[in-house]
Amino acid sequence: MGSKPKQQDYKPSEAEKASAAVAKAEYEFFKANYEPLLIKMRDKAKDENYRDSIRGRASADVAQALTSNLSLGQVTNVASAGDTAAAYSGQLQKADEGAKSVKNKMATGVLGTARGQAAEAQSGLAQVSRMETATALQRAKENQALAQAKFTAGVQIGGALGMQGLSNMQQGRSFFGGTELGQPLPPGVQGPPAPDRKLGFRDRLQAGSFGNLIGG
Amino acid sequence: MFGPLMQGRGRFNQETGEFEPDGAGGDYVNNLPAVSDPEQTYANITRQEYMDYVENYREFEKELIEQAQTDTSLIDYAKEDALASEERTRQIAERNRSRYGVALTPAQMQEQQRSLSRGTTLGGVQSIADARIAQRDANQRLLADLINIGQGVNRTSLQQLGSAASDANARKRAYQSARAQAKQQTIGAVGSLGAMAIMALAI
Repeated sequence: MGSKPKQQDYKPSEAEKASAAVAKAEYEFFKANYEPLLIKMRDKAKDENYRDSIRGRASADVAQALTSNLSLGQVTNVASAGDTAAAYSGQLQKADEGAKSVKNKMATGVLGTARGQAAEAQSGLAQVSRMETATALQRAKENQALAQAKFTAGVQIGGALGMQGLSNMQQGRSFFGGTELGQPLPPGVQGPPAPDRKLGFRDRLQAGSFGNLIGG
Repeated sequence: MFGPLMQGRGRFNQETGEFEPDGAGGDYVNNLPAVSDPEQTYANITRQEYMDYVENYREFEKELIEQAQTDTSLIDYAKEDALASEERTRQIAERNRSRYGVALTPAQMQEQQRSLSRGTTLGGVQSIADARIAQRDANQRLLADLINIGQGVNRTSLQQLGSAASDANARKRAYQSARAQAKQQTIGAVGSLGAMAIMALAI
């Protein structure tokens, strides 16, 4: 016949006791140190104003992109104001979208942690700092670059035209280099005889590539 | 009876690869208060956790669920910006002109105003349309995240409930089994007593 069961045989082992003691201590540490942080994060997710700072960044982006290399041509370009207005609207909308995303991610992160689910590790703030450029800002930048290129090209063409015209006038010809039909070339001027020359800008437009008058 | 290793009095040194008994550092584990009734402690913690959740996060969770279904803030902001951007851009243009000391002719001013109005209207229309899409996207994403959390909570709850139901069922069966056994023993004892009485009478 077996002996009576001894109560000491049913006592928890040292490992079990240590495990329970450690678990309880860890729980208390968590409650004392991490739970207040989580509650702070909850309040932050509710009340923190991310919007203003991200919008400030977006406005600065637009200003830097469109006015950092300001020139006289841009200042007097009346058409660029519309592009700038559209760029501001677009970029600020992107900023609001980013701020909303940060706030929502933080809120679900807090709630997920509180509910014992996986926490969202990334706040998304870094993503907002790399906020993609809005289409309107990109378009405004492109328009500005195009306007600048046109202006530069205009200056180059105008400059070349002016220089050539002055040179022609110094040689006794008209600004566009023509002479009266049938008149001799001024003394000392090399070139084909006068009848091949056209008098003014209109004649030049009507002339073909080799100087003959179209239909004339 | 137990060595320091068995009692957990000491720690494992990763550099030497050996267990170092107390004396080499503080005995953090043995200084912890013992948990006399882990079951009761666990019950208390579970109860307290739920009360803390209700107090600290229940309202927050409800607000988020509501927000995921009704939020229109991005659209509202885009509308405000569309109205304000014309004035802001006009001021920028004026500041830039004053920096360069440039004055526009009346015709240029008119053209600038037309360009501003056009840009503001087109930009506003586009940003409000973008905001509508972004709002729907943000609300959808928030709702999906909340549903994910809710699904996890639901899964955990069902597991806990399943475990509780399984325990309850095991207890019920153990009780029925014990009752049947007790009945058998009683009948057996009564039978034995009866048999003994009959034998006594027969003698």
